[in-house]
Amino acid sequence: MAEIKAAEVLGRKKSRLNNTATLFIILVAMFGVFSYVGRPFFFSKLNIIPMLNNLSFIGIIAAVLTMVMVSGEIDFSVGGNIGLTACLVALLLSKGLPGWLVVIIALSGGLLMGAFNGMLVTVIGVNSIIATIGTMFIWRGIGYTLSNGESMLAINPVIDFIGRGFIFKVIPFPIVLLVIIFVVTYVTMSHSKWGRKIYAIGANPLASYLSGINVKKVKFVSFLLCGATAALGGLILTSLSAVGMPQHGQGLELVIVSSIILGGTALGGGRGQILGTLAGVLILSILYNFLTIMNVYYFYIQIVQGSVLILVVSTYEIRQAMARRRI
Amino acid sequence: MEKVEKKYSAFMNFLRTPTPTLIGIYLVMLILFSLTSKNFLAIQNIKGIFNNFAVYGIIAAGVTVVMIGGGFDLSVGSTAGLAGIVSAVLLMKNIMVPTPVVFLIAIAIGCLVGLINGLIITKVGINPIITTLGTLAIIRGVCYFWANLNPRILNVFVQNLGRIYIGNVFPITTVYIIVAFVILTLVLKFTRFGRDLFTIGGNENLARLAGIPVDRIKIISYVISGFFCSIAGLLLISQLGSGRPEYGTGAELEVLTIIVLGGVVVGGGKGNFLGVFIALIIIQTISNGMVLLDVPVFMRTVVKGALLVLVISIDAIRNRKNLQLY
Repeated sequence: MAEIKAAEVLGRKKSRLNNTATLFIILVAMFGVFSYVGRPFFFSKLNIIPMLNNLSFIGIIAAVLTMVMVSGEIDFSVGGNIGLTACLVALLLSKGLPGWLVVIIALSGGLLMGAFNGMLVTVIGVNSIIATIGTMFIWRGIGYTLSNGESMLAINPVIDFIGRGFIFKVIPFPIVLLVIIFVVTYVTMSHSKWGRKIYAIGANPLASYLSGINVKKVKFVSFLLCGATAALGGLILTSLSAVGMPQHGQGLELVIVSSIILGGTALGGGRGQILGTLAGVLILSILYNFLTIMNVYYFYIQIVQGSVLILVVSTYEIRQAMARRRI
Repeated sequence: MEKVEKKYSAFMNFLRTPTPTLIGIYLVMLILFSLTSKNFLAIQNIKGIFNNFAVYGIIAAGVTVVMIGGGFDLSVGSTAGLAGIVSAVLLMKNIMVPTPVVFLIAIAIGCLVGLINGLIITKVGINPIITTLGTLAIIRGVCYFWANLNPRILNVFVQNLGRIYIGNVFPITTVYIIVAFVILTLVLKFTRFGRDLFTIGGNENLARLAGIPVDRIKIISYVISGFFCSIAGLLLISQLGSGRPEYGTGAELEVLTIIVLGGVVVGGGKGNFLGVFIALIIIQTISNGMVLLDVPVFMRTVVKGALLVLVISIDAIRNRKNLQLY
């Protein structure tokens, strides 16, 4: 991989812009075609708003997971985190705790889960794929234990507002959250010292360490934030469905990781953009929504899901190979 | 970073894998289970333990080969499911394809999936995790083409494939696993393919520079994985007596846990089948013990995850050669 990195440095700025721009062009084209083919249902308020709500928690988690992935690590435990948070929220609400306190506890729980992942990866030094697959089991299992495998009602004014509330009576609150998270992560990654550090660590951890970056601290904080946003995603999903189920978020890690990779983030780290992730999330969510509207069976959607992932990454790889040959 | 890697004897190398830690935990659990449950040491229970791990053991054999070569195969559960349901459909009364042909078709399916995985990973150059994550979804989707046929296995030969006990005690499936593990151990140790595979897992660029046909070896490793998945698929339909599209779901994680606990290094270059076999027995015993101890079904997931995290953490701490700076 070393020889590829050199090529990337030379043509970095230009190629990144191109990739993200291409994704947005694809997105607009897809949206146009789907609106026409899927008329009158696809482009209607009844479809667009729920679709955006459903994509909001995927996008929120994807944005922060992008930071983790750019730093060269991965977090597969976000789906389990959602399940645990959902059960925790429903359980605490059934005990009669006030909504705002439940939100605080849920987010702190997310921070704790993130801290545990971060500790495993940075302090103990476990491979993050294996560590987070393990914690994925643990979170999901604790979720099942808390709820005893049942789904519990989670109705409370504060919780309801997170997923189903409106700002100024028109803008859904999850969309507001999505926009806020994307703006914050975009500014962090592209215009702050912290973001530079994350890119540097992903490209070459040893060099970053030697140039004075506290690699472990940066990675730990990324995991911490990832845990907290996954819990926020869990809150949104609980609110949208009005129940806390341990099955919430099952398999979501694959959708999220696919979106991020579709957005151009390299698995080994060092390369990736928040805007690309946004495009990836939008493209995949719109695609699956369209297929559902067109009455396609779920197993066909699964086939499409897998094929899209492989096809997209292939085009990236082939384009990179061509760029390398040019240099 | 270090200058010269110290030479260790085979025994010392074994001590450096997670397996000894695992055996320690295992002994504690064994004593715990034997003391608290009087059924644990019953012959009927031990027979069950050994027969239960057939599918995961066979799949683990192939995935271990892939992982030693630095690859990753997450599509195994789906591949086993596909081979299983296709064979089950072909064995249905109104189709009646001869059994040997069905077996050949199942094996061909597995090898084909492995070949496709290998070609995408080596020729296109996609990360193996992503590729097999994609094929996992695709193949599982294909399995659902036959979702409403619901074939039952009435063929006696196929039924016996995964259910016979030798001398009424020793399950034949364990024989399959041992045979597979022994053959693969010999292949990896004494053939050129095996040595090349370890070299590729250790350092792929180096292997390429040394003139090893990296792509070909890697593709073969994925085909081997696919082959064992198809055998596992046949065992699945044999043991469960029917063909369902969801068979084998989640097997990839179980198998990954077993292999990692067995001391195969993620990233390749290190690993042996003895460790994987021990890990296989241990995981199954622990699952079984938890059933006998009436541990709530949901807690078992937690325990399995915690075990993985614990063993890997201990392994990481023990094998830390020098202070980890980043």
